Amino acid sequence: MKCAVLSNVNVESLARRIERHEVHVAQGYGAWTQELANPASETWAFGPSAVFLIVDGAELFRGQRGLDPALAEIDGHLAWIERAAERSRDIKFFLSTLDVPARSPRALKHGHPERQLEQHWLAGISRASANHANVYVLDLKALVEDVGRAQLYSSKRWYLGGLRFSVLGEKLIAKELQRVLDAQVGARKKCLLLDLDNTLWGGVIGEDGLQGIQLSETGEGARYKDFQRRIRQLGEMGVILGIVSKNNEGDVFEVFDRHEQMVLKKEDFAILKIDWSPKPESIAAVARDLEIGIDSLVFIDDSPVEREAVRAALPEVTVPEFPADTCELSAFLEQVYKDCFFTLESTEEDRKRTGSYLANARRTAERSAAESLDDFLAALRTKISLGKLRDDDVQRAAQLTQKTNQLNLTTRRYTEQQVQAFRTTPGMAVSIASVADKYGDNGKVFLGIVRKLSADTAELDTFLMSCRVMGRFIEDQILDHLVNELRADGLSRLRVHFVPTRKNAPARSFVERLAGGQVVSEDESGGKTWEFDIAHGSPVTKPPYAELLTR
Amino acid sequence: MEQKLIAVVASALGGPTSALNLETAPGDVEAWDSLGHINVVSEVEAEFGVSIPIENIADIQRISDFLPYLGK
Repeated sequence: MKCAVLSNVNVESLARRIERHEVHVAQGYGAWTQELANPASETWAFGPSAVFLIVDGAELFRGQRGLDPALAEIDGHLAWIERAAERSRDIKFFLSTLDVPARSPRALKHGHPERQLEQHWLAGISRASANHANVYVLDLKALVEDVGRAQLYSSKRWYLGGLRFSVLGEKLIAKELQRVLDAQVGARKKCLLLDLDNTLWGGVIGEDGLQGIQLSETGEGARYKDFQRRIRQLGEMGVILGIVSKNNEGDVFEVFDRHEQMVLKKEDFAILKIDWSPKPESIAAVARDLEIGIDSLVFIDDSPVEREAVRAALPEVTVPEFPADTCELSAFLEQVYKDCFFTLESTEEDRKRTGSYLANARRTAERSAAESLDDFLAALRTKISLGKLRDDDVQRAAQLTQKTNQLNLTTRRYTEQQVQAFRTTPGMAVSIASVADKYGDNGKVFLGIVRKLSADTAELDTFLMSCRVMGRFIEDQILDHLVNELRADGLSRLRVHFVPTRKNAPARSFVERLAGGQVVSEDESGGKTWEFDIAHGSPVTKPPYAELLTR
Repeated sequence: MEQKLIAVVASALGGPTSALNLETAPGDVEAWDSLGHINVVSEVEAEFGVSIPIENIADIQRISDFLPYLGK
């Protein structure tokens, strides 16, 4: 679009930094009010849709003696601005706030006229904005406060060419103008999708439990509560909110219903995808259900693996990098707002939007994203390092039995002493595995305890894996490997138990994708034991893809 | 050092590095006008963490003239 930049300093260099829009800079930068006042001026002949007024405080009051004449000068400028806004109602005017550096050394008792001037200007442009729908306040003073005058201004550029801002200052201001211009041509995203664990709260609800997650009014957990507040504000501005989380729905609803510190409520979300399907599939389903384009989605997740999965399978989705330091969550969301959801005004209609999407959400069959999932898994360069339990693994092994709730077939909790004893019990074999991928080492995340029941039959006493690496079929590949080892040892049958708990739905879906088992026992609570013939094959059907090393 | 200098000047002028060499002077490139010159000086100062005295800025007639200010 066409825009004009008017200023009382030289903004030619600043204007050159604006991309994708046609920019006009008035010649003779002292003459900005005349440009405004004269309907025949070049600025109006250019035919802009937006006019930016970048007013430099130091220059505005250069040569002024005393506060009262300076205040009167402000009033004079404001009158011209209002007149121009009145005359050209289809042009949007963006008026900058004022930064007035102290001009002269003076005694403390002398007062602070700069602050009064800034206030007077702000009151004037705020009034103009309230009175005219086409007038907006552009808060450049906030930029000065964030960045600092020493960084934002440059005296050398001033003396060389009447350029008030440093290169950095020009870049930052140009970015603000760019954002305002882009917002008017409508590239705004519609929907913000959020992960839950370690994103809306600290910790993992399935493992740490309702009392164990970090979420509080003050202290460390407050960074998540503050983050939630910002998210809710986005919702109030008309951004559709949704959840895409690998979790047990029951656990999550318990947090929503019972955690006192939750700012966000279930009703704040137009859609909740809480299950164990791959996130790209869930996100594709969200776009279909809400009937919005995939390219209008923004996805926030703390896990680099999930982010990469979504970027690989759905490149149209915007996936911002998650802050490495979660103290920066609020600042991060502010940036996401500016980059993805920035808007000049939010209407009543915008604010109701989440509600209408909620009502309209339509369930449709989920298209399989299996192909892209395989590609994604291969690209992770997963390495599994599997071995018999050593002395220095005992503590971690016991901890895994104590803490792992989700992918855990039997949920048997063991102490270090018990685990230590298993190592030397004849007929028992304890295996532990660590998993690394291109993002780094996830540590020891898998534990399996196999017990020989007879000369040809063994059982899985324990088979568990931390949720950190869940959803990547690592458990399938490890079981396949263990089965091959047992067969090499002359065993031909393997018994697998599943003991249901409130949290181990992932373990259920794991046993349900094993093939060829005969149910040998079943109890009322849903517990089941299968027996697999492993003499000629493996119950695992998922082809291996990771590199598996034994130690 | 020289390559970085050329890259910084190119970035300040918003053009490709390939269009420049150490002998390139203001006027050889369209974007290198008087305003472009100020931006070139500012960017070189910022990128190399140096300050070029205002009296000497008019003496910079080609890219290589920056080299004495950049230290080692």
